[in-house]
Amino acid sequence: MCSRLYRDSRKRSRKQKTVSMASRDLLIPANFQVALPRDQLILEDPLDAERIDVDVLFVGAGPAGLAGAVRLAQLVKQDNETGTGLGDITIGVLEKAGALGEHTLSGAVLNPKPFRELFPTLEDSGFPFRTRVEKEAIYLLSRSRSRRLPTPPTMRNHGHFVASLCEVVRWLGERAEEAGVDIFAGFPAGALRVDGDRVVGVRTVASGLERDGSRGSSYMPPTDIAAKVTALAEGSRGMLSQAYLEWQGIGSANPQIYALGVKELWETKRPLDKVIHTMGWPLPKDAFGGSFMYPLEPNLVAIGLVVGLDYHEADLDVHELCQVMKLHPLFRPFLEDGEMVEWGAKTIPEGGYYSLPLRRYGDGVVLLGDSAGFVDVPSLKGIHYAMQSGIFAAHAIFAALKHDDSSATRLAVYDELVNDSYVIRELYRTRNMRLAFKNGFYSGTVQAGLMTLTGGRFPARRIGMGLDSEAPRKPPQRPVFAPDGELTYSKVDAVFKSGNVTRDTIPSHLIAGEKVNADVARFYAHMCPAAVYEEVDGALRMNPPNCVDCKATDVLGPRWTPREGGAGPAYKRM
Amino acid sequence: MKIGVCIKRVPDTETRIKIGADGKSIDESGVKFVLNPFDEYAVEEALKLKEQAGGEVVVVCLGTEASQETIRTALAMGADSGVLLKASAVPLDPLVVARALAAELEQGAFDMILFGKLAIDDYGQAVGTMVAELLGLPSVSAITRLEVTDNTATAQREVEGALEVVEFSLPAVVTAEKGLNEPRYPALRGIMLAKKKPLEIKEVDLDQGGMEVVELTLPPERKAGRIVGEGPDAVPALVDALRNEAKVV
Repeated sequence: MCSRLYRDSRKRSRKQKTVSMASRDLLIPANFQVALPRDQLILEDPLDAERIDVDVLFVGAGPAGLAGAVRLAQLVKQDNETGTGLGDITIGVLEKAGALGEHTLSGAVLNPKPFRELFPTLEDSGFPFRTRVEKEAIYLLSRSRSRRLPTPPTMRNHGHFVASLCEVVRWLGERAEEAGVDIFAGFPAGALRVDGDRVVGVRTVASGLERDGSRGSSYMPPTDIAAKVTALAEGSRGMLSQAYLEWQGIGSANPQIYALGVKELWETKRPLDKVIHTMGWPLPKDAFGGSFMYPLEPNLVAIGLVVGLDYHEADLDVHELCQVMKLHPLFRPFLEDGEMVEWGAKTIPEGGYYSLPLRRYGDGVVLLGDSAGFVDVPSLKGIHYAMQSGIFAAHAIFAALKHDDSSATRLAVYDELVNDSYVIRELYRTRNMRLAFKNGFYSGTVQAGLMTLTGGRFPARRIGMGLDSEAPRKPPQRPVFAPDGELTYSKVDAVFKSGNVTRDTIPSHLIAGEKVNADVARFYAHMCPAAVYEEVDGALRMNPPNCVDCKATDVLGPRWTPREGGAGPAYKRM
Repeated sequence: MKIGVCIKRVPDTETRIKIGADGKSIDESGVKFVLNPFDEYAVEEALKLKEQAGGEVVVVCLGTEASQETIRTALAMGADSGVLLKASAVPLDPLVVARALAAELEQGAFDMILFGKLAIDDYGQAVGTMVAELLGLPSVSAITRLEVTDNTATAQREVEGALEVVEFSLPAVVTAEKGLNEPRYPALRGIMLAKKKPLEIKEVDLDQGGMEVVELTLPPERKAGRIVGEGPDAVPALVDALRNEAKVV
């Protein structure tokens, strides 16, 4: 039913194309966005007298921050065993989710390499993985057919594991606490505290504010946390990381570009025995992306769709495409009579090598994982890079502590370690692959093939990319999507399945531009997978409590800012 | 004033419960555990008493190893020390639990012992009162207000259509009802301090008592709602449906 709606709309849209393009301008999201609220994200006044002091603070309890905290605790412990150690070193980890893993979402097929490095005494069976990848297949989809393709070398997953990143993060958190790390879940970092060019800590976000900004009965003021080194491991589109890079004028060859992934977890009646990836339908030919279906258990299946946010149609809607996709004969038989148990969404930094900040360190600060952009799109992997960057950062921070000097000069060791590692080697080899797809699927596929054959030497130049928000969008054409409630779900139902129970009276954390018109409001409504935006009587209406912190809005729409701890989704096994 | 608070680790209220493969327990995978919400009222009230009269607050928890985390939550709120009575599982029989707790509390010379009125996992509502009985102390259950002066206390209970005011002497056992107070959230500093507060672990060997779980089932699914009409005209139809279909008026 739904797929027919889409088919009809496609036919209509092709016929109307010339008319609508002439009568309505292309929509450029950047024209309606406000600037990054840097004054709010970087505070230069002195630290509060009531502050908490730690030696090292990791912002974000994801794979990068936790791997860094664990390795640093290990290094400090080893050092103290020598007798001339640093003594008691306080390592803190701040996490905005109410409990570890609740804001964590990934596919995920995982490369176990950094686990083995962090925990050399454990066997693979001791890690929180679900199943080893034994079989995999990649398909090119058309509306009703699927054609199996040879697996490109970058996408071979032999020796990798299917895992729930929520579970991985909870497990890493337990290891960190065992090692003496202090983890503070439910405390988002709201601003960097700086002194000159030096980062001296963060300020947490107040909680218990009412919608009008007044203090409710459960109000808790923000807390300043001072640290010798602050490691920003905020994940994709981290706000403090963005603010730091902008404030320090640290650029990159290309701007960072993002994709949005929508993921569901299904308990199925029919078992799945392999890792599946698809390309093609239901994406338009000029959009970059694909789907995945992974078995956590034979009858517990993760399914999702990832689309580059440089898509060209204002009404492209990743959540809806993901819903329609499930009706395809490749997926439907697995999901039918099953139950969707969880839903979530997250952005992915996709720019790769050329989008990495030119330096990922500064006075008193380092940038890790997705916050720095360590993701390899051709192999669909970033978790092991995130952890590896955390491990390297721990070594650099430890050396800085030993010299009692956390200046940029000392912390530059972090960049050196990353640059000399497989992380940068691999990202360099695939440096142009994602970028080749900016002009569509077919030319991208051909170019990516040549890149693989030449080990990345074709083309001999960097493919330039613009900001996602500057990519023009054709005006909305698509009809209203009607979910069936069995295989396909509305965004509101989906948000419920994300476990989001944010209180309704929370102040808005989203900053929309003033020029937003009806077309832009509809663009936002399609862009946001969590029904935060609606177009009502030609104006934008926002439902901020629905937000699941995927950050797509910050890339293309209203700015996202940190809000009180525990708000947002509560993922369990995403 | 020495105040004891007995707490329990329970699944989060937001958890969608799944029955485990054995049909007698819940499937704990992906389930978040929290401090029993009624026990939060008890902890909060104990902290208020301490703030008002001085003294110390000791939390006692009977549970598995994982309950340490629950005790830390209470310590982060402001309690001074914790005792974990470590068992391989928490028996369903409230008398077994009450005996273990009473044996621990008996040695503590507490002036006041607080419980939540019930734990949201089994809704037993029995342990607090049983502990009072085992210790031979006065017991006031489901209180919504508490005032302590020297060795006497006044508590308020909400009974059908009225408020009941009870006066009693200390030491005593009370159980907390929703509305007694608004529990504080642990602050960052509290969480840091909690890691360094004393938490004593004592192994306890419990029998299963006289109760056995035979089967767990989920409540029947709720039927979808129905809109009977709109505006004043729909009132008779609504009244009819409520009276004859739902049988609630």
